[in-house]
Amino acid sequence: MATNTPVRVAEINLADPEVHLRAGQHELFRILRAEAPVHYFPGDESFGPFWSVTKYDDVIAVSRNPQLFSSEKGISIAPVIRPDDDQPAAGGPGITALGKMLILMDPPRHVRLRRLINKGFTPRAVGMLEGEIRRITREILDGLDGRQGVDFVVDVAAQLPLAVICSMMGVPEKDRTLMFDLTNRTIGSGDAEYQDAVPEAERGTRAAARQTAQMAGMQMFAYFAGVLQELRAGRRGDDITSILVDAEIDGEKLSDEEFLLFCFLLIIAGNETTRNAISGGLLAFSEFPAQRARLLGDPSLMDSAVEEVVRWVSPVTHMTRVATADTELRGQRIREGDRLAMWYPSVNRDEDVFADPYTFDVGRTPNEHLAFGIGEHFCLGAGFARLELKVMFEELFARYPAIEVAGPVERLRSNFIGGIKHLPVELGPRK
Amino acid sequence: MKVTVNHDRCEGHAKCQQAAPEVFQVRDDDLSYVLLADVPAHLKEKVDAAIRLCPRQAIDWEK
Repeated sequence: MATNTPVRVAEINLADPEVHLRAGQHELFRILRAEAPVHYFPGDESFGPFWSVTKYDDVIAVSRNPQLFSSEKGISIAPVIRPDDDQPAAGGPGITALGKMLILMDPPRHVRLRRLINKGFTPRAVGMLEGEIRRITREILDGLDGRQGVDFVVDVAAQLPLAVICSMMGVPEKDRTLMFDLTNRTIGSGDAEYQDAVPEAERGTRAAARQTAQMAGMQMFAYFAGVLQELRAGRRGDDITSILVDAEIDGEKLSDEEFLLFCFLLIIAGNETTRNAISGGLLAFSEFPAQRARLLGDPSLMDSAVEEVVRWVSPVTHMTRVATADTELRGQRIREGDRLAMWYPSVNRDEDVFADPYTFDVGRTPNEHLAFGIGEHFCLGAGFARLELKVMFEELFARYPAIEVAGPVERLRSNFIGGIKHLPVELGPRK
Repeated sequence: MKVTVNHDRCEGHAKCQQAAPEVFQVRDDDLSYVLLADVPAHLKEKVDAAIRLCPRQAIDWEK
């Protein structure tokens, strides 16, 4: 932090989205790890109370015990998916996502639902799509030829994950912009830039955030309800929606609600996180030119560079769990019903696990970061994220090795996703 | 000592194979298989690492 006044632990409010707009976020995490690694936050006018878990080992312990730390009552402290909200914004009217969406589910049902589609996400299955991912990446970069004023987020970073997830979901190219827009409004619902459907005077409020997310959710459900109708009428394709419509768990098909929630989750998750890893990665390569030069000089470092980008950015800022019984964590008494927020940017800079955690090191080994989570809810799309990052940076640096950030970094106002909305770049000479 | 891989959970990340190639093998069906019916003492540490590193918590000592 710029100030020399010591920060008191009791004053730290990680729910405040403003905190995550600044680099000072990491100083707050450092203080919590050192002074109050399992820290109780009593809540404020927008967010209910929760425990902050900031140490690596503790996040592993919580993640690996879904019986004791449940996902079914909400996975975010964001007001839009609070368990006490009567209408979680992840669902529109009549749809409650809790316990019905893959990410909001506990075993054994979570295991069974995930098994319906996880064969398409294994590292080997993903690897077979490398050629296609490279073709899409080159097409995106072709679009930059002769362009001035490139916004790296909108023009490049967002385009690859968007194209890949839409293709997997059978969403035609003409509807990609809609999916991009609805994803922004869902994840960015707390950011005034995405609240333009709400009257101007109300923007920036919690009500505006909720309304923005709900409207986007409803539109997304309406879109996939249309897809479901076509599938019911007999259309089948080589995509996940076709698998889901025929899938059975214990002899029962998914309900319409479950189908729609699954589609919603995949579009959002496939879109938002990798985008921010790509953008945040380019930002890191701009801030650490020696590391970029090292990677360009030794392309065999690409795999470890990708892992380091994911650790460095930690695109998902937190996930929550709810204790199903009284328990203890690092000496703190946790009561049944308490919420625990696991802060990934913090655990991925835990001094007890990572040497020089604040150094961006493209050769970092080992690098067992937790940016994809661990255990029951380990990121289903991790293989896609890794491959998209690898191909993107290979192709990008092959063409524009001197690309630089050339303007203000506009960050997303969110305590959930460490997002970048806009990143002006200077491409430099094309090789 | 016996170690097992839960195939309902395994997603072929192959972390176990990297940690203990003598014990685990990921095959074409994207599932990890245990190669040794009984894990000798000198490989115990490697298998512990595999258990710890498995992203999906699919591996455990048989109880």
